[in-house]
Amino acid sequence: MPLVPVPKPTFAQKLKRFFMVDLVKGMAVTLGFNIGALTDKDAVAGKGIYTEQYPKVRPDVAPRFHGAPRLNMDPETHDTLCIACNLCALACPEDCIDVIPMDVEIVVAGKPRRKKVLDEFIFDTSRCMFCALCQEACPTYCLELTQDFELATYSRAGFVWNREMLEQGRETVKYES
Amino acid sequence: MILFLAAPTIIDDLLLKFFSEQTVNYVIWPLIQVGAVVTITAGWVAYATYLERKISAFIQARLGPMRVGPWGLLQPIADGLKLLTKEDFIPENADRWIFFVAPYIAVVAAFIVLAVVPFGPDWAVITDVNIGVLFVLAVSSVGVLALILAGWSSNSKYALLGALRSSAQMVSYEVSMGLAIIGALMFARTLSLSGIVATQQSDAVWFLIYQPVGFVIFLISGIAENNRAPFDLPEAESELVAGFHTEYSGFRWSLFFMAEYTAMVVVTAFATTLYLGGWYFPFVYRFTEAKGYHTAYVVVSLIVFLAKAGLLLYLYFWLRWTLPRFRYDQLMDLGWKWMLPAALINIVGTAIGIGVIQGLDGVGGMHTLDPINVTGGLGLTPTGKIIAIGIGVINLFLTAGLLSLINRRSRDFNLKKQRRQIRLVNLPKGKPAVAPVASESQT
Repeated sequence: MPLVPVPKPTFAQKLKRFFMVDLVKGMAVTLGFNIGALTDKDAVAGKGIYTEQYPKVRPDVAPRFHGAPRLNMDPETHDTLCIACNLCALACPEDCIDVIPMDVEIVVAGKPRRKKVLDEFIFDTSRCMFCALCQEACPTYCLELTQDFELATYSRAGFVWNREMLEQGRETVKYES
Repeated sequence: MILFLAAPTIIDDLLLKFFSEQTVNYVIWPLIQVGAVVTITAGWVAYATYLERKISAFIQARLGPMRVGPWGLLQPIADGLKLLTKEDFIPENADRWIFFVAPYIAVVAAFIVLAVVPFGPDWAVITDVNIGVLFVLAVSSVGVLALILAGWSSNSKYALLGALRSSAQMVSYEVSMGLAIIGALMFARTLSLSGIVATQQSDAVWFLIYQPVGFVIFLISGIAENNRAPFDLPEAESELVAGFHTEYSGFRWSLFFMAEYTAMVVVTAFATTLYLGGWYFPFVYRFTEAKGYHTAYVVVSLIVFLAKAGLLLYLYFWLRWTLPRFRYDQLMDLGWKWMLPAALINIVGTAIGIGVIQGLDGVGGMHTLDPINVTGGLGLTPTGKIIAIGIGVINLFLTAGLLSLINRRSRDFNLKKQRRQIRLVNLPKGKPAVAPVASESQT
């Protein structure tokens, strides 16, 4: 068994122990934090309160954060920007995107033509890993991963977003104080 | 404000129209006082829980309760409602009758002490018992009974172990608590709590200055007797679930909770009365009572008292989040090997000091004792006060020296003996167990 060298306490150390100097030091630390909680707003000096009042105050997520998907629309005409090119579905490593196009008859320069437009867009957020490769692939900047992070639902089916949810955003219960 | 200050006289006049003077003075006013004290203490206890949560949160850089009301101010009410509506669960094999009674004993033992605590002068004290100090010590020790009964009747091992621990702890710390008070009583020369405050007022000195050792011992013993951290072994969550009230739920549990916090309020009030001058604060008398504002004097004194007790209560919360819990044998060692000898040394030192002060009176033209002594205390002149303060400081160092002498071979606070025993078992003295690094590199 190795010996633990314990030096004999000096007189000063004995005095220090009797007058509980270390206790006073510890209490100074806790008092410092208590005062800091009241004076140090937003924890600038490192002694304030770090708690986020989450539903009341929204947290600031990092700029590179990827959250809920969204299909952007033309701000003037409110038509979808999606051209149903299927690039996002091809880019998706998880195969969680389904682009369902539809053929429409249009007239270009007096001649009838057929055109592929977007009918339905299925986005399975339960399988999505938020890599944003679909966002990179999108040629019209239509599909975008926003910074919204409240994606929890009550059922598995709720994770599958359709076109309407992707365009309008999902309805969530907002906290009111 | 003026209406509020004049209120007692108005109510008095009103009551005298319906009842005789004796009834008003000895029945109705005391009932009003009791009602006020119980209501205010219950509210204070409720908000002490809130304050404790807030302060502990601040110390840990959190926010604490924030959702119920502004800054969570209605949290105690929500907690109370929750506890009232919870199921009152009784374990199957519990001793039902004792299980029912134990929380009430705890609450009564905690609340009844408030009857003699002088919150302020004149009408701010319910009754002034001549043996107030004895009464407080006697009644507050009944609280142990409630804990033992609760732990025993629950028919649970955690509850029983918690009760055993807490009773042992409370009994052992009560000794040093009672002995620590004696030093202050030697200066006050009365057991009446109002009388103790009056002597401190006439001396214009808080007994804390005469009795630093006594105050520290009293405070530590008080914290230990209230089973608060760092002495919260009976409720050690990591070992005993919740100690003696493990099996309690709902309202009965909240009664225990209330008893614990009331006991805290009582000990702080008691410490304030004995050592911090009670409701006495310099210059308050001169600016209120001496100018004829009697009610203002009482109210200001009341606020002074509550502020002092509140500061001590803050110390409770503060210590809780500073110190970790003691081990059980350390707790007993602290109680019997350190607190008790320190209290005894303090008594002897103070007694000798007072003897010296009395003997010095009249020697060489010195006047240590005031010939005009109104309150019945020691009645010291400024010279005597300086000597008394000096004796208090000497006592501090005397206690330090004697305690380290007594405990020089104490195992738990001193590693010397442990080290010696290790040596005796394994190795001849002086030979290092681990070979030096230099010799290893050579081979």
